[in-house]
Amino acid sequence: MGKSRKIVCRCEDLTEEEIIHAIDEGYNDLESLKRYTGATTGACQGKGCLMHLIRILSQKTKRSPEEIGVTTQRPPVNPVPLLILSEGDTE
Amino acid sequence: MRVAVIGAGVMGLSTAYFLAKSGVEVKVFEQKYLTYGASGRNSGGITAMLDREELIPFAMRSLEMYENLPSELEFNFLFRMDGYIKVADRDEDVERLEKSLNLQRKLGVDAEIIEPQEIRDLIPDFNSSAVTFAVFSKNSGVVFPWPVVWGLAKGCRELGVEIKTHTKVHDITIGEGIRGVKAGDEFFEADVIVNSAGAWSNEMSRIAGIELGNKIMKEEICVTESIKPYLDPYLLDVSHGLYISQTSRGEIVGGITGREVEKIETKSSMDFLVKYARRVTQLIPKLKGLSILRQWSGVYDEGKDGLPVVGFSKDESFVQANGLGHWGMTIGLSLGKELAKLIIKGENPKLKPFSPERF
Repeated sequence: MGKSRKIVCRCEDLTEEEIIHAIDEGYNDLESLKRYTGATTGACQGKGCLMHLIRILSQKTKRSPEEIGVTTQRPPVNPVPLLILSEGDTE
Repeated sequence: MRVAVIGAGVMGLSTAYFLAKSGVEVKVFEQKYLTYGASGRNSGGITAMLDREELIPFAMRSLEMYENLPSELEFNFLFRMDGYIKVADRDEDVERLEKSLNLQRKLGVDAEIIEPQEIRDLIPDFNSSAVTFAVFSKNSGVVFPWPVVWGLAKGCRELGVEIKTHTKVHDITIGEGIRGVKAGDEFFEADVIVNSAGAWSNEMSRIAGIELGNKIMKEEICVTESIKPYLDPYLLDVSHGLYISQTSRGEIVGGITGREVEKIETKSSMDFLVKYARRVTQLIPKLKGLSILRQWSGVYDEGKDGLPVVGFSKDESFVQANGLGHWGMTIGLSLGKELAKLIIKGENPKLKPFSPERF
């Protein structure tokens, strides 16, 4: 695998090139980039790829990671089966 | 003519696109990023099987637009017309569905009653004993909301519309003399200001000095891990307010229809997940092994009488384009197109039921 095939998001099978392409298309804020590429929305919910996304965005747009921020973290922290949830309590 | 559009959701962008197509100079102001609001948080069910007579023709026209606009915009909305099922298990809901069905058929909607067991032909693992009544429309389906917003935005930009994201409007001047909106350090002078700010429309109207009073609704949704294509139609259980469909990425997306809230907030609750999990595993028991990956919530607005608020306010330079309720994704495209006509021609009888002056 050459340099151009760096996988940055394993769940959604995204390469660094594809992320850069999306930024070039104008999806150059983190929330838009996440939605357009699907990065951080797979099984790991960004645990594996969010840092890469921020790094690439920072390099491409010359903004600091602080300026870029992080995506909104959505519950649950880890995937939970519907069967288990259906046994939970309601208010 | 120069128009300022506040809010880059489906309603605002559709209006902006059709205005720009007619040569109007338009600028769109979005407080966050594209898809931040309800147009980016919904589940994309599109059907003309609606309860209100006033909305059905707009849903029918939007369905046509979902088929035709993607090629015009050269942007795939990932729309698939695999049908829409509504089910109920309470007598009053059955009555309402029957009444609505008669209305829909009168207006030319292709919808029919099906036996609960027949749902198994459409959803193989459906537990038909969980419901007592079902209606089905073949000419309905599911759209991926994000590409709808991005596609409309692309169309707008290609026509010269500037979309200012991360730019909140903080002052609106209407009436005689110089009119326009103040956003950031810019004052954009405009002949007409369109308030398509969704749940934030009350606030935008207030700063223009016009009381709106739309209801604020909050809705929660969640998504499972992806599986192979399995669930073709969109399913809405009206008795439990629960809906479910499968995205083109394979996730099962579902939620519970919104309830009115005092103010805008988008917290997610465990209570929702439990209620959703209970009912969805009754309807399709096989789903119980699937895991929820992510949940979120969204807010939208609804007119006081349950109908959208679209048209000239008492000041003709301030146009309401809000209050679309739960069906914004379904009716927004065609409402925006008709609103553009209203703004250009000064009148459009099709929008009369939604006039802000009806209250």
